Amino acid sequence: MRETNVAVDQVSTAVSKKEIKQMARRKNAASLVRNKYLYLMILPGLLYFLIFKYVPMAGVVIAFQDYQPFLGMAGSEWVGFKHFERLFTEPTFFMLLKNTLIFFALNLFIFFPIPIIVALMLNEVRLKAFKGTVQTIIYIPHFMSWVIIVSIFYVFLTVDGGIINELIARIGGEKIDFLTSPDWTRSLYIIQVIWKEMGWSTIIYLAAVTAVDPQLYEAAKIDGANRLRQIWHVTLPAIRPVIIILLILKIGQTLDLGFEHVYLLLNSLNREVAEIFDTYVYTAGLKNGQLSYSTAVGLFKGVVGLVLVIGANKLAKKFGEDGLY
Amino acid sequence: MKKNNVTKVLSLKALLASAMLMAACSNDGSSDSAQSADYDPDSKLEVNWTAMLHTPSPPSGDVLDKLEEHTNAEINFNWVPDASKEERITAALASGELSDIVSLTMMTNSSVRQSLKSGMFWDVGKYLDDYENLKQIPEEVRNAASIEGTLYGVPFQKPLARSGLVIRKDWLDNVGLKEPTNLDELYEVARAFTEEDPDGNGKNDTVGFGDRSDLKYSSFKLIASYHGAPNNWKVEEDGTFTPEFETEEYTNAMKYSRDLYKNGYLAQDFAVTAKTDQQQNFAQGKTGIYTGMIDILNLKNLSQGLQEGMKLVPVNKIAGPDGEYHVWSENTGVGGLLAFPKSEVESEAELKRLLQFVDDLIDKEAYLLMTGGVEGTHYEMDENGALKILDTDSWKNEVQPFSSSRPSEVTHELIDADPDKQLANELVVENDQFAVIDPTVPLDSATANERGTELEKIITDATIKYIMGDLDDAGFKDAVKKWRESGGDQIAKEYAEAYKAAK
Repeated sequence: MRETNVAVDQVSTAVSKKEIKQMARRKNAASLVRNKYLYLMILPGLLYFLIFKYVPMAGVVIAFQDYQPFLGMAGSEWVGFKHFERLFTEPTFFMLLKNTLIFFALNLFIFFPIPIIVALMLNEVRLKAFKGTVQTIIYIPHFMSWVIIVSIFYVFLTVDGGIINELIARIGGEKIDFLTSPDWTRSLYIIQVIWKEMGWSTIIYLAAVTAVDPQLYEAAKIDGANRLRQIWHVTLPAIRPVIIILLILKIGQTLDLGFEHVYLLLNSLNREVAEIFDTYVYTAGLKNGQLSYSTAVGLFKGVVGLVLVIGANKLAKKFGEDGLY
Repeated sequence: MKKNNVTKVLSLKALLASAMLMAACSNDGSSDSAQSADYDPDSKLEVNWTAMLHTPSPPSGDVLDKLEEHTNAEINFNWVPDASKEERITAALASGELSDIVSLTMMTNSSVRQSLKSGMFWDVGKYLDDYENLKQIPEEVRNAASIEGTLYGVPFQKPLARSGLVIRKDWLDNVGLKEPTNLDELYEVARAFTEEDPDGNGKNDTVGFGDRSDLKYSSFKLIASYHGAPNNWKVEEDGTFTPEFETEEYTNAMKYSRDLYKNGYLAQDFAVTAKTDQQQNFAQGKTGIYTGMIDILNLKNLSQGLQEGMKLVPVNKIAGPDGEYHVWSENTGVGGLLAFPKSEVESEAELKRLLQFVDDLIDKEAYLLMTGGVEGTHYEMDENGALKILDTDSWKNEVQPFSSSRPSEVTHELIDADPDKQLANELVVENDQFAVIDPTVPLDSATANERGTELEKIITDATIKYIMGDLDDAGFKDAVKKWRESGGDQIAKEYAEAYKAAK
């Protein structure tokens, strides 16, 4: 393309820039026609993002209004950063931030490595049938809703008649308020997350592991590496890009910990350790009808998530990894 | 009412631009006043009604047909399960996707109040006296249902105070106790039900009070009013407002409940128990005292096949330390509003026809349909003129769902063939004499509208913690201080001002 441009310039100035642009456009149009089916295939995806992700974004303007449904977006009063000021000066703000960050840290440091370890272990299993069975069993909880999982824990852990507490009482111990004691809330949270998502999260790692070139293992064996060494020097470096990508994505969810799960865990006694931004938005926003305020909280969450993803991506690139984009 | 198609188009648009729609949808409510105010009372009405559903599934059967026949209308119910009303109703109000009639039952919910005050709904105050049944709504009910003097819908008329206890009569007999008449006796019953093996199975597997995580509808609020605590707010002589939890009576009630809990006479898991579990525990014979007299028949039905020989007795007269009876009143006998959104009901004539429809629903015939069902199919009148349900299962499926949509539960008197239920009904009527009214029901506070629910949470949490022994007096005072600083003081001030203005 550049050659033609240069040539055209040299030959005559009569061909205006406009025409050059037109030529370029024609060429683009030609490629569009040629690959029309490919473009057609991408269309539903694009539409999905446009309709469900981008158009509703216009709604964030109500974070800067005193939105009244009856008046609508056009008629509501503009109030600038009032709602953000309220959020940051709210006495509960630091409690919310702290709880959110702690839950996030639990997710990152305790939950995140577990699927990797499980995937590596499954990869070492020799019996195909055994591996398949284990995989199926650990995938199942993923398909249960949080309501069911929290209810199962509830049935097991109640003080009056819960199996665990009855067992503790029978061996002479003192019953424990698992469900209402703030000391147990975080443990329950992470145990439930692990139980539900551990198996499902191994899928991507297992796929990455199977893509490792078997020759590398042979070479390592010849060099005298045992099983553990092979995992350390071959498998792990091979799946490192996948781990990094998933880590960046995880970091993006910092303030997005799953409303449903935490809401179900929440009760009057553990609120100080379990109330997070999502549940706060629900009570302050939906139940109280504070649409503008909850939009402001949601926007704040989104911005923090975006900053963290970009930061993590930059960091990954600095260490020579591919990153997300 | 011919807006069905418009609504459909709108909801399609909602998929494309839900956010923008809110503006568009709510704007079309304002340009309607010019139309004729005449209406034809005999015209066939097509009505969409967003109503609360207190049963697991919507009604089946022919009760709806009979109702439509009686009211000369085609009724399309849009049922909202009671458990999810907070999300559903606030979301509907926010998006403007409403029906011709909306049952608004959460009158203290800030979002509902804000919508009402914003003028989304018709002011029906001046029309009520044109209708046979509606004009009988007493002045005090209209006042209690008004916001700043405006009545934004037809009030659901309920008994003034429905609360009361249900106690296992057979257990009382087993432990040799009588129905309690004061707080000490009630405590003794709870103790005996826990410690003296009232079901006689030789196991220590029963508890006195079975509660749930809700202070208002389980025992605590009732016990507080037995102690003489005000209902939410107390108006002092100088016109200032004191919140209930700063009164001595409330503290005494907390101590009473704390003792119950500490000794195990109150279910240890109450803070994480849901309503259905609470009822199941009672029906399975794990607990012996239930709060909520009107559920007595329900509890009986639930226990069938589980607890043979279960006998229940409703109890409401528990004397406080002052020797008097007190029972808190829920919204001064107003169960909410039947509101008519201006966006759907576009002209005065349409509104009048709808009011005629509501008026027809209060007729005895319609009331019987929504209470007992079809005579001969669901119920019959026995020789004493008492209403006897013939088949509980079909009544539950086909009739009970309508009962919470009755515009008035007080206009007609019925005798229930079930003696326990009839006794409970009589006790509810008796409660009128010692009902404790919440002075803030007709008052408005901007701060309470904005953050009332959040603030209430501070106190609810603190009270539950106090009962469970996780918080001492100083800790509770800190919570109250936090409440005051986060807006409680402001609310008290605003109520005092509104109270003064109303006088």
